[in-house]
Amino acid sequence: MSRFSKLFSLMLSVLVLVVLAIAPVTAQPTVITFSSNASDPIPRAFTEEIVGMWNEANPDTPVELSTVAHEDFKNAIRTYLAAEPSPDVLTWFAGERAAFFVDRGLVGDFGDAWEAAGLNESVAPGFNALATTGEGKYFLPTSYYWWAVYYRPSLFEQVGIEAPIENWDQLLAACDAFSAAGIAPFTTGIKFRWPAAAWFDYLNMRTNGPEFHIDLMLLKESYTDERVKQTFANWAEMFDHNCFIEDAAAYDWNEGVDIMVQGDAAMYLMGGFITDTYPDELEDDLDFFRFPVINPDVGIGEDAPTDGFFMSANASNPDGAKDFLMYLTSQEVQQKAFDDLGRLPTRIDVDVSAASEATQKGINLIQTADYVAQFYDRDTTAEMADAGLTAFVEFWDDPSSIDDILERLEADRIRIAEEMAASE
Amino acid sequence: MAVKPRLFATPEQRVGAKKTNWSPYFFLTIPLLLYAMWVVIPTLYTFYLSTTSWDGVSDNPTIMREPFSNFSRLFGDEFMTFEAKKEGDPRILQIFPAADRTFRIALTNNVRWLLVFITIPTTAGLALAMLLNTEMRFGRWYKISFYTPLVLSGPVIGLIWAWVYQPRAGLLNAALTALGVADPPGWLAERDLAIWAIIFASVWRQVGYVMILYLAGLKNVDPSLVEAAVVDGASRWTLFRKVVFPLLAPVTTIVMVISVIDSLRSFDLVQIMTNGGPAESTQVLANMMYNEAFQNYKMGYAAAIAVVIFAFSLVFIGIYLRRTLKDELEY
Repeated sequence: MSRFSKLFSLMLSVLVLVVLAIAPVTAQPTVITFSSNASDPIPRAFTEEIVGMWNEANPDTPVELSTVAHEDFKNAIRTYLAAEPSPDVLTWFAGERAAFFVDRGLVGDFGDAWEAAGLNESVAPGFNALATTGEGKYFLPTSYYWWAVYYRPSLFEQVGIEAPIENWDQLLAACDAFSAAGIAPFTTGIKFRWPAAAWFDYLNMRTNGPEFHIDLMLLKESYTDERVKQTFANWAEMFDHNCFIEDAAAYDWNEGVDIMVQGDAAMYLMGGFITDTYPDELEDDLDFFRFPVINPDVGIGEDAPTDGFFMSANASNPDGAKDFLMYLTSQEVQQKAFDDLGRLPTRIDVDVSAASEATQKGINLIQTADYVAQFYDRDTTAEMADAGLTAFVEFWDDPSSIDDILERLEADRIRIAEEMAASE
Repeated sequence: MAVKPRLFATPEQRVGAKKTNWSPYFFLTIPLLLYAMWVVIPTLYTFYLSTTSWDGVSDNPTIMREPFSNFSRLFGDEFMTFEAKKEGDPRILQIFPAADRTFRIALTNNVRWLLVFITIPTTAGLALAMLLNTEMRFGRWYKISFYTPLVLSGPVIGLIWAWVYQPRAGLLNAALTALGVADPPGWLAERDLAIWAIIFASVWRQVGYVMILYLAGLKNVDPSLVEAAVVDGASRWTLFRKVVFPLLAPVTTIVMVISVIDSLRSFDLVQIMTNGGPAESTQVLANMMYNEAFQNYKMGYAAAIAVVIFAFSLVFIGIYLRRTLKDELEY
């Protein structure tokens, strides 16, 4: 190499080193990472909108949003929380699902931010209880939705059934009438199993009362109890009356909605988010009523799963995470969620009077219930939920095998309860 | 003159060697290191995990008080009984009567998959290869169209076939209804039918693969041997049976091993099309392992299933390696 090129390359390498050394010193925006499972189109657009609003108001602490498919998120969250660094803020569900991670110390406590924002006053007490574990606040409940029997009034008129259906006999009579008219009474899509669990939840709560149902979820009652058998006997009676569509196990829950839209089914036991998927122009012909009463002597329990957020214990930006969490539970964002998505707010200072009649009805449904449960796979432990969900689909396929199914479920329950007791 | 280093050099060779060439070993260290890091160590770690009851999120896993309790849960406590299943039934021989029910179903499905894979795609692929080995019009086009399924990714194939099998709006039932079938089956919704529907989708993909392997093998068949057989008056069937097929023996071995391994590995189609449903009837070992690990937070149990898959595959891979190494040494 000539003297000049040697000198030149020396200067160049010194320059590069200096630039590399200086670069970290210049101010970088501190990012807040946010992992969301809102993958259905409308909730996803909403999430992107509120992130955009935060980024405009806080350009120094932008939020990086990553959306993961809803079902996949449930499996992936374990790795997210155990990673270092993990995402700062994540969406999640209340109940046992959150408790699993809180008990293992993977969730951050934002109790100080909660107090500072005055949330003890502005969040309804029931949801305050969901947020608290021990002394701290670990889960931020921001919205909930109701479950009900959605139906098409036009089809009810066509067949001559009166809505709402209020008791068991009316339900079976309606099933017979719809079958005779060539319309499936209930549609559903149990490919991913959880819509079948809704049927178990409601049939069990209506047959045996919500207190027994919750004890069963907490593994305190036996699955071979006579009362559980009665629930399944009622369910089997529905199959005898051809209350459900054929081949439900081949459809995802959205495909079940298609069947109702096409007029081949009249009712769907589903959560309030069905309106996200239901075509807007046809929503005039969609209404809902409370699940019929089976046993008038027991209380009314409803499923009202609560969604929300939490921050991970390994967050790289815990202060930013707390700030963003407070933003997500702020009056503005909850009001917007209510106006745009129809999600019920957990704050009491959100104006719900502008709600559509349907939403008011839904709020009334939950507020007049005697007990509010989360949902089968959120109230009970993950492993029991897996066994239960499979059992419900198996029962759906072959109602006569119920005794075998219950025996196996009971064996699983005993084993899981023992493992839980051993690990404590 | 440098002598190629031999691992098991005879004394005469050692005396005559001038200078061993170390560069091959040097080049091997990096790949071997990567192999150890990404394959060997995780395999050994999985063996260790199968003796723990780790849940994937808590602190480091430790060996349980009863190290093999995961395996005893998988296989049950008894090996074989000669009892009646229920009161009043005849006494039959049952193997592993107390085995985990899902595991038994998964193992059965894997065996079904295996039996189908070593019979149907292999014969169909061979037949197609023999047919397309001639110079026919659009021959290239046929080969491409049979090979294309392999180019698609597994989940894509799963999604498309799930739509084909959809009872109401799917291609298959629409065709059956058009042909006049009154009540077409629910395919993926039926417990007896679903696994065969998935296996069929998998066979659809595998046939192209086997066909390409056999086409390559046929190209290596010495044409002079074929000519000699024709001159000697061999009929087409005798030609195939006595000349061509034996010459394809190395390819057949590869095809068999690949069929076995692919059938034990099957995961993507099952996960996408049914996720083991309805009611675990389409469960396979790999999918069960994934669900136990990531849905139920039972890493130890999933590791035990992984060890079972490993042992199962080892048998067949062992057979294959013995045969190929034996052939190599003969050269």
